[in-house]
Amino acid sequence: MSDLVQVNNLCVDYITFGGRVRAVDDVSFSIKKGEILGLAGESGCGKSTIAFALMRLHRPPALISEGEILFDGKDILDFSDEELRKFRWADTSMVFQSAMSCLNPVKTIESQFYDIFEAHNVVSTKEEGAERAKELLQIVDIPPERLYDYPHQFSGGMRQRVVIAMALALKPKLLIMDEPTTALDVVVQREILQKVYELKEEFGFSVLFITHDLSLMVEFCDRIGIMYSGKLVEVAPSKEILGKPQHPYSFGLGNSFPTLHGELQEMIGIPGSPLDLNHVPDGCRFAERCFNASEQCRTDEPQLRNDEARGWVACHHPLAIDFRELQDAPCSELN
Amino acid sequence: MRYIFTRLGFYFLAFLFAVTINFFLPRMMPGDPISSFLGRLAQSGGQITPETIAALEALYGYSTSVPLWQQFIGYLQSIMVGEWGVSTRFFQPVIEVLGRGTQWTLLLVGGYLLISYTLTTFLGIYVAWKRGTWADSLITVGSVVISSIPAVVMALLLYFAFASNLGWFPTGYAYDPALDPAYTWEFVSSVLYHLALPMIAMVLLGMGNVMGMRSNMINQLGEDFIVMGWAKGVRDRKVMFSYGARNAILPMITSFAMSVGAIFGGSLIIEIIFNYPGLGQVMFQAMLARDYPLIQGYLLMMTIMVLSANFIADMLLFALDPRLRTALD
Ligand SMILES: Nc1ncnc2c1ncn2[C@@H]1O[C@H](COP(=O)(O)OP(=O)(O)OP(=O)(O)O)[C@@H](O)[C@H]1O
Ligand SMILES: [Mg+2]
Repeated sequence: MSDLVQVNNLCVDYITFGGRVRAVDDVSFSIKKGEILGLAGESGCGKSTIAFALMRLHRPPALISEGEILFDGKDILDFSDEELRKFRWADTSMVFQSAMSCLNPVKTIESQFYDIFEAHNVVSTKEEGAERAKELLQIVDIPPERLYDYPHQFSGGMRQRVVIAMALALKPKLLIMDEPTTALDVVVQREILQKVYELKEEFGFSVLFITHDLSLMVEFCDRIGIMYSGKLVEVAPSKEILGKPQHPYSFGLGNSFPTLHGELQEMIGIPGSPLDLNHVPDGCRFAERCFNASEQCRTDEPQLRNDEARGWVACHHPLAIDFRELQDAPCSELN
Repeated sequence: MRYIFTRLGFYFLAFLFAVTINFFLPRMMPGDPISSFLGRLAQSGGQITPETIAALEALYGYSTSVPLWQQFIGYLQSIMVGEWGVSTRFFQPVIEVLGRGTQWTLLLVGGYLLISYTLTTFLGIYVAWKRGTWADSLITVGSVVISSIPAVVMALLLYFAFASNLGWFPTGYAYDPALDPAYTWEFVSSVLYHLALPMIAMVLLGMGNVMGMRSNMINQLGEDFIVMGWAKGVRDRKVMFSYGARNAILPMITSFAMSVGAIFGGSLIIEIIFNYPGLGQVMFQAMLARDYPLIQGYLLMMTIMVLSANFIADMLLFALDPRLRTALD
């Protein structure tokens, strides 16, 4: 499979009163055609910041300061305004984390769908736009006649589904879903992800999936990237990342998560709290909280290294435990 | 529909309330106008007969012999049928005097609202979009400085500079008295020419709205649906108007409704200084002449206009904000 997206050494800064905060620091990864890549990590580690960068949506005080984002071989950072406008939604669309407040309160759903079609010249009449919008609503189980309602007439979960339907409107090559299902109950959540999965199989687009629900992520994704304080610390196939974590943070993250089937098991968690991005230490950012940290970890910053067989990890002392053999591991049953 | 009727009902109650105050206030003030009139009459050596008193009572709608509540009912009735008493300054029915002034005030204030709100809304949208550029600083600072000049100072400055000294604009009246009112180009252009300077003064004084619109717009631009608009590939202009401004004008309508009283107050000063024969002029002369029926009539007319403006703002908001529509209907 070839790469659809290739992100190289991406850095995103927020200019604040206290100076520049580097929210995403030297991150590289790729998304293959038809692949679902997951992105996990504690709140504030920079997941949404990466998602925004992939559509070049950052506005001051945020800016992409370094790196390149190759989409189908072309660097979107070089796009002109008009190229960028055409690229957005047609090539990459996004279900925003704040899906609830993503709909314009004074326009009907129909007119917000139509704006998409109109901006990309895909329909010639309003009726045609409405037809297509109705089909899309059906995918997410919203009755088509609700098309002419206003956003406030929908429940939070319905709004989220409307946004998902909108994101699918132009059959993009990359669909970014930033915690798309937080307002949905477990059943609906799975149904919708199942739908997205089927559509993905049908049309062959790629997905960047961000969620806090690790078990969902493991189930849905092909590969998972783990982020810590603006750094990508590990990328591995989802079947292995929790069962055979190499980075101590991935290990901790897996341990912080209760098993789905609920047998009582000690949740270990990760001591300490996330890094203050205003004071980034010299060495590994996780060293402070790591059970395995050495002197080297506090002085040298580990670089992402490729392990042929498995993926990428940025750690001086990658773990070599295999949970699946050792014990009834937290997430082994999910694989 | 139900909403519209509730609002109408509400405004009717507010109107009744204002009328009630209008009725009782002068009656609670020490020295009713009739005795003060009689006093002046006596001083100047006039004859005071029972007929004089009866005539005066009829004129003022006052009576010493009829119980208060009956007076009140009578007052309400006569207001509803347009009998607002007779002006003691102009010796004409109050409603006629006010009617003459009202047309010019409506022209001035209505024109002002149209021009000022269009101008400041677009400027506000523009500077919010261009936030941080020199155009933003220039327009923002300029409009704040201009609008913070007191109305009297602004009006006098413009009047002396452009009407008295340079003579570019007329020094008074609503149209050239030599012309007969008719829908001819000559007459209409004369009206516009006389309207121009007071209108410019009011528009300048209202420039502060640019700041209001700017901050509304900046608030809206921070909303998630704006980002989504861009992400959808919607063109900038459309995001700006259909996503941003469309939402940012809603609070402007509310603030208009709240400031409409002040706008009429401002037009009063402008009319007096520019010698423009609107309601403000009428009020001014009524006050100088202690013309109580006219003052009362003026207050009533103001109440009607402010309430109507509020009602229009309500309806506008109702038409423009779907959330209000479903919540209230
Ligand atoms: N407008 C901003 N100004 C300054 N810093 C910001 C701004 N937006 C985000 N940040 C910082 O960037 C970092 C990454 O934020 P981001 O929203 O990408 O986190 P996230 O991983 O998506 O978190 P969550 O899981 O809570 O959504 C955070 O530390 C945050 O404080
Ligand atoms: Mg986020």
